[in-house]
Amino acid sequence: MNNMVSLDKVAPQQTSEKAKIEIKNLNFYYGESKALKNITLSLPERSVTAFIGPSGCGKSTLLRVLNRIYELYPKQRAEGEVLVDGQNILDRNQDLNLLRTKVGMVFQKPTPFPMSIYENISFGIKLYETLSKSEMDERVEAALRRAALWNEVKDKLNASGLSLSGGQQQRLCIARTVAVKPEIILLDEPASALDPLSTAKIEELIDELRADYTIVIVTHNMQQAARVSRQTAFMYLGELVEFDETAKIFTSPREKRTQDYVTGRFG
Amino acid sequence: MSTIYPRRKATNGIMMALCVVAAVIGLAWLALILGALLYNGLAGVNIAVFTQMTPPPGEAGGLLNAIAGSLVITVIAVVIGTPIGIMAGTYMAEYGRFSKLTTVVRFINDILLSAPSIVVGLFVYELVVRPMGHFSAFAGAFALAVLVIPVVVRTTEDMLNLVPNALREAGTAIGAPRWIVIRSVAYRAALSGIVTGILLAIARISGETAPLLFTALNNQFWSSNLNAPMASLPVTIFQFALSPYEEWQQLAWTGALLITLTVLALSIIARSLTGRREDR
Repeated sequence: MNNMVSLDKVAPQQTSEKAKIEIKNLNFYYGESKALKNITLSLPERSVTAFIGPSGCGKSTLLRVLNRIYELYPKQRAEGEVLVDGQNILDRNQDLNLLRTKVGMVFQKPTPFPMSIYENISFGIKLYETLSKSEMDERVEAALRRAALWNEVKDKLNASGLSLSGGQQQRLCIARTVAVKPEIILLDEPASALDPLSTAKIEELIDELRADYTIVIVTHNMQQAARVSRQTAFMYLGELVEFDETAKIFTSPREKRTQDYVTGRFG
Repeated sequence: MSTIYPRRKATNGIMMALCVVAAVIGLAWLALILGALLYNGLAGVNIAVFTQMTPPPGEAGGLLNAIAGSLVITVIAVVIGTPIGIMAGTYMAEYGRFSKLTTVVRFINDILLSAPSIVVGLFVYELVVRPMGHFSAFAGAFALAVLVIPVVVRTTEDMLNLVPNALREAGTAIGAPRWIVIRSVAYRAALSGIVTGILLAIARISGETAPLLFTALNNQFWSSNLNAPMASLPVTIFQFALSPYEEWQQLAWTGALLITLTVLALSIIARSLTGRREDR
């Protein structure tokens, strides 16, 4: 796994597989104010893409369009096209719940449900599948193993999800997301509320997951973007300034604004 | 260090003393009331209170029919009022969080919350008792239900609003439809608070007399007919305490003690539930 990471970074040119997500002329509004301006962006399959930029640049907003979670709030709306596997998810006929089983999301703060560790995982599975007890046990174990949490919780699956540490809670949230077998995983600053050790574990996990999932991560932490992603999009004031291989963004960006940001001159 | 500092220190001392006195006065009344209740009420506590009916003047008896009546009327009121209150609160905190209707309902609910209970009694008198032509336990339960609803609406809305949005987003993000997020995530997170609201509503109605005077009236005998007048502790206390008969007055004290202890117990349970929530 780790070998692959370094390989990718040495030879990023080989990444010309098909696009999983294509964003075309996307505009986003919070009421009257425009938060995303004409974003066009194509995210490759089974690969990690990072969105970076200063606070308020729209990177989280862009992420929240990809599973239409913004629909929870009536004054927010998106215009344009977002194609997932060629299908426009902004279409009015798009079933939102099915979209969200395909596009999972992990939030900044760990958000375990107020139930046991086991139920936290089985909750999402039960929504769309009817499994026997033993099948469910297997699915829960597989998800927890996938999130590198199994060994820490296997003896207390009935304990409350809230009894875990912050880092464990976040891995529980990742396990819960993986359990419903999504194809895309959105990570909204998944490590910003965690200590360095937990952050390292989450990053390791992302490295392992990227072989099977298309991952999009929003991060404030540029080192993190450099470590985990293959492509990076730099956003500023609602615009996509530059999108390229991560290595290029951090070593030889085309835009001066990108250069200034990644070298710490502003932001 | 001029004269300012000693003066401030002195002012501080005086203010603190005034506050302590005010607090003690507030507590003292409560202690006096409880003391009087315990002193006068305990004297009348015996097995007959729980096994015999309210007596005619001058004879010994108990409060069985009043206790049973209060239980029946309260249970019906809670069974009617709680679902309506919880659903209305759910609408306000979940589905209609951003709608105008919510603002209107909240405003009216706040008025209802502080409406004098005698007004509610009169309202139910006009709405139920007059058309039916007689007093009934059902009318009493209905009046109390009207008092339960605003309390439950308020606590349900408040408690659901305390559930972080991130939790709702997390539920939604996993593909759960809205009502499952509400039922399995939001309700669970707010459960102890909602239960506390129901307990407080019970505590509130268990001492209400005015709405029952116009609706359930009273009954000196055992009655399990919901369509007929039914005895209740508050109304019995009201009637007995005003009477000139010593046996009745004693029973009124005992009944008052029973209600107070019930409300106290409910409050303690409600407290410990919210306490547990904060521990988490």
